Amino acid sequence: MNRWTRQAAARLAAWFGAAPLLDAQQPTLIGEPPGRIAPAGELVNTYEFAAMAERRIGAATFGLVADGERGGFDRITLRPRMMVNAQGLDLTTELFGERMFAPILAGPVAGLARFHAEGDRAMAQGAAAAQTTLVVSSRSSVRFEEIAAQTKGSLWLQVYPEPDAAAVRARVDRAVAAGCKAVCVTVGGPEAGGADWKGLAALRQALGRTPVLLKGVMTPEDAREAAANGFSGVVVSNPGRLQGTAQAIDVLPAVADGIGGKIPILIDGGFRRGTDVLKALALGARAVLAARPAVWGLAAYGAPGVETLFRLLQNELARNMAMCGKVTLADLDRSLVRIHRR
Amino acid sequence: MTERLWRGCLTRRGAVRAVAGFLAGSPLVRAQQDPFRDHSRVPGLGELKTTFDFEPVAYAKLPRYTYDYTSYGADGEFTLRRNREAFDWVDLAPRSLAAGGRPVSTGVEVLGTRLEYPIMVAPSAAHAALHPEAEVATCAGCAAASNTVLISSGVASLSFDKIAASTKAPLWYQLYPSRNMDDNRKLLDVVQSSGAKAIVVTVDQQAPVFERIQHDRNLQRPPGGGGGRPAAGLNLYGVSDRRLWYEWKMFDELRAFVRLPILIKGVMTAEDARLAVEHGLNGVYVSNHGGRSVDYEESPLEVLPEVVDAVKGRVPVLVDGGFRRGADILKALALGAAAVAVCRPQRWGLAAYGGAGVQRVFEILQAEFRLAMAATGRTSIASIDGSIVRTYFP
Repeated sequence: MNRWTRQAAARLAAWFGAAPLLDAQQPTLIGEPPGRIAPAGELVNTYEFAAMAERRIGAATFGLVADGERGGFDRITLRPRMMVNAQGLDLTTELFGERMFAPILAGPVAGLARFHAEGDRAMAQGAAAAQTTLVVSSRSSVRFEEIAAQTKGSLWLQVYPEPDAAAVRARVDRAVAAGCKAVCVTVGGPEAGGADWKGLAALRQALGRTPVLLKGVMTPEDAREAAANGFSGVVVSNPGRLQGTAQAIDVLPAVADGIGGKIPILIDGGFRRGTDVLKALALGARAVLAARPAVWGLAAYGAPGVETLFRLLQNELARNMAMCGKVTLADLDRSLVRIHRR
Repeated sequence: MTERLWRGCLTRRGAVRAVAGFLAGSPLVRAQQDPFRDHSRVPGLGELKTTFDFEPVAYAKLPRYTYDYTSYGADGEFTLRRNREAFDWVDLAPRSLAAGGRPVSTGVEVLGTRLEYPIMVAPSAAHAALHPEAEVATCAGCAAASNTVLISSGVASLSFDKIAASTKAPLWYQLYPSRNMDDNRKLLDVVQSSGAKAIVVTVDQQAPVFERIQHDRNLQRPPGGGGGRPAAGLNLYGVSDRRLWYEWKMFDELRAFVRLPILIKGVMTAEDARLAVEHGLNGVYVSNHGGRSVDYEESPLEVLPEVVDAVKGRVPVLVDGGFRRGADILKALALGAAAVAVCRPQRWGLAAYGGAGVQRVFEILQAEFRLAMAATGRTSIASIDGSIVRTYFP
């Protein structure tokens, strides 16, 4: 090698050393190659499902179901009681005549085909495998009857109070004929339009003996009105996710006080851990809807991901309940939690 | 001329050196290496000024798994973080003139055990993972630091009689009760005859999951090996019910063959503290297992006042969880604790320097505690009361 060749080599090496290409490599976690989709069984919490889902479907699609604000849960702490034999741990609950394995439902999400090729079918299959009731969105990629035809799992239907009440009723009738156990009517979101109590009461009347829940309730007044108008339950939920509004878990105690046990309360919004579910149950909810986490499981792994995710949440709820000295859901009350100032 | 050209030119040796330098500086290579662990300077013991200083040294010396075992908390580690945060919600009111120049006395007696300082070593598992001399080194460090009392773990690396034989400092014993009372009796017979001064029964952390360790375990599992959590001994919801059988009557059964004071460790509510006293227990030990039991519990410091209120002075209240400074310890005493137990700093000290590290950790805490007492004008443990603190718990 002559002098010029060597100098060229040295410069090339120096260029390499500073190359942004090398820096641009993704940080490697120990034992985890960049971009790896770990087997679902390796994941230890729902947030890891989110990370895997983002790797699978890309940041743009994942943005539709990205995690939101959940500071409300950080203001609620648990007060575990010791020396309570929890070997007979039992998470089952009864809602509208149906026995549920655990008080966690898969919440309604529109257009699941955006997240997984098998979309609603995989969601239903995974939820059923985890003995979890699925609330099918009225904007599902596949019609309710088709989903119901290929699952033995429990299904509910979510609808909007559309101006054409007859169409909503027809849709519910078809779903009920296909096995739908209850209906959630979503208000407050941009899709719900200008629903008023008169219209809602009429819709509730029209749906006859099917249990109907009002979803999107955020105040005790609305909850009481729902009960007065014959709704079978409410789902505390902030559908618009308007900036600056309270989170569902923040208003749950007031809503529970307002209803006073007349009809069951469910809640939706930000549930990511078993302890989140435990807090809601202690504050008066009968069951909890998890929507985004279900989509994370679906997007990353299809049906097995949905199943693993709900099994994980059930496990987290069960072991934290046991460690808090609570054996059945009937043991849960407000003495289990303390709500802290902001 | 030619010679000058060659002199300025790259030699083979220089080229190798350049490539090696390039490799060493490449982010790709660095990513596989832990700069702290692999290039750590171990400072001299005298250079460490606070207990916090021991953590990075321990980190540099320990395998990742062992470090994680010491540091992790349950689930999302909310409670682990809150345990430390809570000390910021209690202010000490300095009042140094109140001491009037009198000497500060830090000694106290708790359940018949003389403590030179109201600072004990909390029980923690398997010290052999931290240092080859295991609990023997811990005890040597404790003895050298004014006979600090170790609550010897029920899952120690050495049996209690061997640990007790190695030290002249007083020892307490921590028990994970076995369902079989005969096993408890046999174990506690040895413990009592070996000279333990009290029995601490841990009742929390019945079915925890530590995500940091679980993650590593899952990665180590062979592909297709099932994944998730082990299936044996689990209930319908995948929860191990090995420790779910605890009931209050267990203490009545233990009492039949325990002559020593019995404390219950893991109480976090006034209700349970009251029940503990009603069941004849001799001490209440407020703890959330260092944030390793239920995530989203409060910190022990926050619930200490309600427990102290409930106990009404009938039995001493101990506390652990996040104690790192002498001032932290004084805050707990001002809120009603009889003594404080320290865990992770002891493990850092042991891992970093063996027995000498344990000794130094406790000497630092003791000196800080003495200074904090003087600064608040307290010259005896009995004179420490709520008037030296303001609390701002959320």
